[in-house]
Amino acid sequence: MVHLKINNINCYYDSIKIIEDISFQFQTGQFVGILGPNGSGKTTLLKSISHTLKPKTGTILLEDDDIYTLKAVDIAKKMAVVSQGAAIAFSFTALDVVLMGRSPHLSRFAMESEKDVAIAKKAMTYTGTLHLQDRLITELSGGERQRIIISRALAQEPQVLLLDEPTTFLDVANQLEIMDLLKQLCDNKKLLVIGVFHDFNLAARYCDSLVLLKNGKIVAAGTTDVLTSENIKTIFNIDTVVKQNSITKTPYIIPISVNHEVPLRSSTIHVICGSGSGSSLLKRLTDDGYNVTVGVLNLLDTDQETTSFLKIHTVTEAPMSPISESAHNDNLGLIKKADLVIVTSFPYGPGNIKNLDAATFAIEQGIPVFLLDETLIELRDYTKGQAQEKMKILKNKGAVSIKDEKTLLSALNYLTKKQVSKSTFSLPHVVPALATVEEVSH
Amino acid sequence: MLNKSKSSKSNATRKTQKWALILFTLFIILACSIVLSISIGYVSIPFSNIIKVFLTNTPGLNRLFSYPVSTVDTALILQVRFPRALCAALAGAALAIAGAAYQGLFRNPMADPYTIGASSGAALGATTAVIVGLSVTIIGINTMQIFAFIGCLLTVFFVYAISRVGSKVPVQTLLLSGIAVSILLGAIVNAYHSLFPEQFRRSAFWLMGSFSYTEWADVWSALPFIIIGSIVIYMFSRDLNLLALGESEATHLGVDLEKMKKILLIASAFVTAAAVSISGLIAFVGLIIPHVTRMIFSPDHRILIPASAVMGAIFLVLCDILARVVIAPTELPVGVVTAVCGGPFFLYLMRRKKKVDTS
Repeated sequence: MVHLKINNINCYYDSIKIIEDISFQFQTGQFVGILGPNGSGKTTLLKSISHTLKPKTGTILLEDDDIYTLKAVDIAKKMAVVSQGAAIAFSFTALDVVLMGRSPHLSRFAMESEKDVAIAKKAMTYTGTLHLQDRLITELSGGERQRIIISRALAQEPQVLLLDEPTTFLDVANQLEIMDLLKQLCDNKKLLVIGVFHDFNLAARYCDSLVLLKNGKIVAAGTTDVLTSENIKTIFNIDTVVKQNSITKTPYIIPISVNHEVPLRSSTIHVICGSGSGSSLLKRLTDDGYNVTVGVLNLLDTDQETTSFLKIHTVTEAPMSPISESAHNDNLGLIKKADLVIVTSFPYGPGNIKNLDAATFAIEQGIPVFLLDETLIELRDYTKGQAQEKMKILKNKGAVSIKDEKTLLSALNYLTKKQVSKSTFSLPHVVPALATVEEVSH
Repeated sequence: MLNKSKSSKSNATRKTQKWALILFTLFIILACSIVLSISIGYVSIPFSNIIKVFLTNTPGLNRLFSYPVSTVDTALILQVRFPRALCAALAGAALAIAGAAYQGLFRNPMADPYTIGASSGAALGATTAVIVGLSVTIIGINTMQIFAFIGCLLTVFFVYAISRVGSKVPVQTLLLSGIAVSILLGAIVNAYHSLFPEQFRRSAFWLMGSFSYTEWADVWSALPFIIIGSIVIYMFSRDLNLLALGESEATHLGVDLEKMKKILLIASAFVTAAAVSISGLIAFVGLIIPHVTRMIFSPDHRILIPASAVMGAIFLVLCDILARVVIAPTELPVGVVTAVCGGPFFLYLMRRKKKVDTS
């Protein structure tokens, strides 16, 4: 049961091509999200579907009729449009506004009948706004007004509902409520809902079909599976991590800015981390241009996901398994090549206690070791005191304890302004550097 | 469910009944104002005489009623004061309707025939007709009115064209250019009056508005313009409601926006020109009457337009009475009265609305 067919449309503003060769089919009961950056043509696409901007070539068929051969009034009986909120000029009551949706069904001089009032009230009941019927539209909140506008669209009794960024000016609670409402309209009333959205997470969560646009062309279209890191990189030119929202089982996208133009530094920093304690540090270090290595991390550890995203050379171990001898040796191999080893503040258990041995190895090799002491070792020691013991030895052998990540980064900055060599990070340099940084931060 | 549809039935019909009642009441008030206007003046005429003269002189009724009233009173009522009151009513209705149309069309309560330059354009057109000596009547239509109409239409389209940015007409630019053009044309009208004083026995009439010299011919020449224009404007009243939602919203609800704009601009020019050619430049009526009507009754143009018309008629008839009595026996230009009454009242309403909005 195809309801809306777009065949090879090309749209122009004057001589500038906005939409190029777009074809798509929509069906009733579908919730379609159009996504794309500013200027990608998504609003233009919506305009051409809504009988506002005629495509230069190609056709748009609504139930086998070319919509540009239909009269505006006849389209309004089948298709309702919620545009990006223009302010309503005069103080009509909410019910009056919803009743205006009946206008396409009335002849020029006809008054609204009891039937029209009943339809309008039904639409308001559906959107949960019936109690607002006598309130003035100009006095309603943004969320209430948007729901009245949607009620007005429903009063048209359309088969197709088009929306241009319907949640843009709403707070989170209202955004979710409006999206829930639209989803219900697809599921229960079998409406075809097509919306332009800015927020890909909101769209991913509610839409069952997505159209990704860039420069007026479809990059990908289909189920929410099209929301891959690669596709998002293509259209928005940003790096993202795509996860699955474990509660809604829909894609969940985390945008991560990547600093692309950094002068690479010659020094290598090895980070021993885990359980997410190192993720932000790893991002900062790579952004600052250091050559970063990591080990040993269990696969599926939060920090491991970060290193794989940042493409950091990492020694890994199978999920939920203790560090094996071979992984430990690989780790020592990486440490030997490093100019500095940083140990972040993470919990120790029997599985990962070997990482502390690796740190001790580093300091015995003459490689400086910085310990981030954000959480007391006593609170993250699940080895019955072993870790505390090893930490004490580390400090005795000359590992430098630093109170937080911010101080660490400032100290690194301070040190690397001078010449970079293995000795840059050695104690005689580090102690005065830390003292200076502390002083500045006070 | 049965209950629900019953209550919604009364809901729909109650609205129509309410509107009918509003218009009926307003017409009664208008009739009283006209009688009052006839009664008050340099020579005051008792109400009873006015009613007697009307009964005696209405075709059909004069077979049943015949009262002896002095010929002086009869002439004063029928040839001077009644046409004058009707002219005031017609001009008030026309300006209010044009104001309601402009406000709806431009989605802005600050638009009116005066602020967008329509009145000044009509005044310049009519003044030009007087100067070139074309003030003749052909088949019941005064050439002065034709000129006023042309002047009004040219001005509105000129203002509309220069305010146009791409395919949109931003309201701020429209009002600013309207006011600028209005002042410019007003200055030209002023200059004509200084250059050709002997041609303008009705000088005050053009500059501040007056009904001193109005007669039956004015009523008959303005009436067709006002009736036709008003009917056309009323035909678009539901479309004007939809336009309040926004231009693209109206289009999506099936309104042919560009066609509607053109027709309404021409129809409003029709009624504005008719009003200006019988009354001169009267400010505030077109601005304040639709505004007040919207506040008191409803922003729904299906009642707003007819109610504004009657409200405008009442307002101008009462203002004309004031213009005659304030410094009797000398008359004030009625435009002075509308400005003096209208300005403060408008400010009061704005303040009150502000308080309601913030509370």
